[in-house]
Amino acid sequence: MQAVRFNPALWFNAGLDWLDERVGIRELVATLLHVVIPRSAHTYYLGGITLFLFGSQAVTGILLSLYYQPTPESAYNSILYIMNELNFGWLIRSVHAWGANLMIIFCILHLLRVVIQGAYKAPREITWMAGMGLLFVTLGFGFTGYLLPWDQRAYWATTVGTEIAAAVPLIGVNIRDFMRGGADVSALTLSRFLGVHMLILPAALIGLLLVHLFIIHQQGLADPHATEEK
Amino acid sequence: MNDANKKDAASQPKGLLPFWPHYVLSELIAWYVILGVLVTLSAILPAGLEDKANPLLTPEHVKPEWYFLSVYQFLKVAAVFSFLGAEAPRLLGVLIPGILLALLFFLPFLDRGPKRPARQRPWMLALVVIVLLVVIALTIWGQYS
Repeated sequence: MQAVRFNPALWFNAGLDWLDERVGIRELVATLLHVVIPRSAHTYYLGGITLFLFGSQAVTGILLSLYYQPTPESAYNSILYIMNELNFGWLIRSVHAWGANLMIIFCILHLLRVVIQGAYKAPREITWMAGMGLLFVTLGFGFTGYLLPWDQRAYWATTVGTEIAAAVPLIGVNIRDFMRGGADVSALTLSRFLGVHMLILPAALIGLLLVHLFIIHQQGLADPHATEEK
Repeated sequence: MNDANKKDAASQPKGLLPFWPHYVLSELIAWYVILGVLVTLSAILPAGLEDKANPLLTPEHVKPEWYFLSVYQFLKVAAVFSFLGAEAPRLLGVLIPGILLALLFFLPFLDRGPKRPARQRPWMLALVVIVLLVVIALTIWGQYS
């Protein structure tokens, strides 16, 4: 042994050894990463891109939440502040808005890819249903997030959007009033849309995503040229 | 990539690709491109903001976001069901998209054929094209009505 020098690779390995002794991290990483996929399984990276966009939404959303004020009196002005005064606020909000649209587009493209390649077929039913759940959650994100800027478009889009629920037989009006927190879109609507947007939907998305990814890992990707599963 | 990984990659059967690092690298490149698209779009067309919400002033053209437009437009088009009774348009306008989405949710249980290649499932391809065209047509109609 000569002079002790700073060697990042050695330190990293030492850290891995420390974790490995306690939780078997090397075996876990090997199980997660060292898998093979059929060369003919063209995913076009659509699901992964959707996942990346979710990550981008999480980061930009957390940053927006630092300055956003969720009351009808101050929500609009806090968005004006983010857009006009806060450094790079306009960029963060614009990336969040574009990311929302792109995430829905890539969800739909991913769905079309899976339908066309027949990748939803047995034994991948649970992956498919979790994926449909993820699509519904993503649409829910779009619907609840749209109200938050509290401008004319937000207010009236939410008014007509929640009104659609009222057409459901028997309990339609109850669903509408439950979504709005009353007969009209009000401060209560803003509170519950923000709660759903920032707490319930992220938790639901992460749960469904874990199911989706775990089963893909266990089963491997579908080979589009294979007719039957062995 | 260390030597053990290299050996792994070389010893794979022909039709298989190692997830790490081959697939992951391609995926990361795709992410990088999308990040560029996001920032470019945001710089060219930043998120807009209209006047502050006014519950007493209904704007002329109220529309939901584009991804809800097809369902919204279908709800309007459902007026043609009025010959079935006064409540039929609203009821069917919500029920039909709801049932279609439920069918999509349970697709793997409805389509049990073992064939996967798209060319061997022409009826499914036809269905995809028809559904896509109808949804796109309803969306455009909703945008311009």
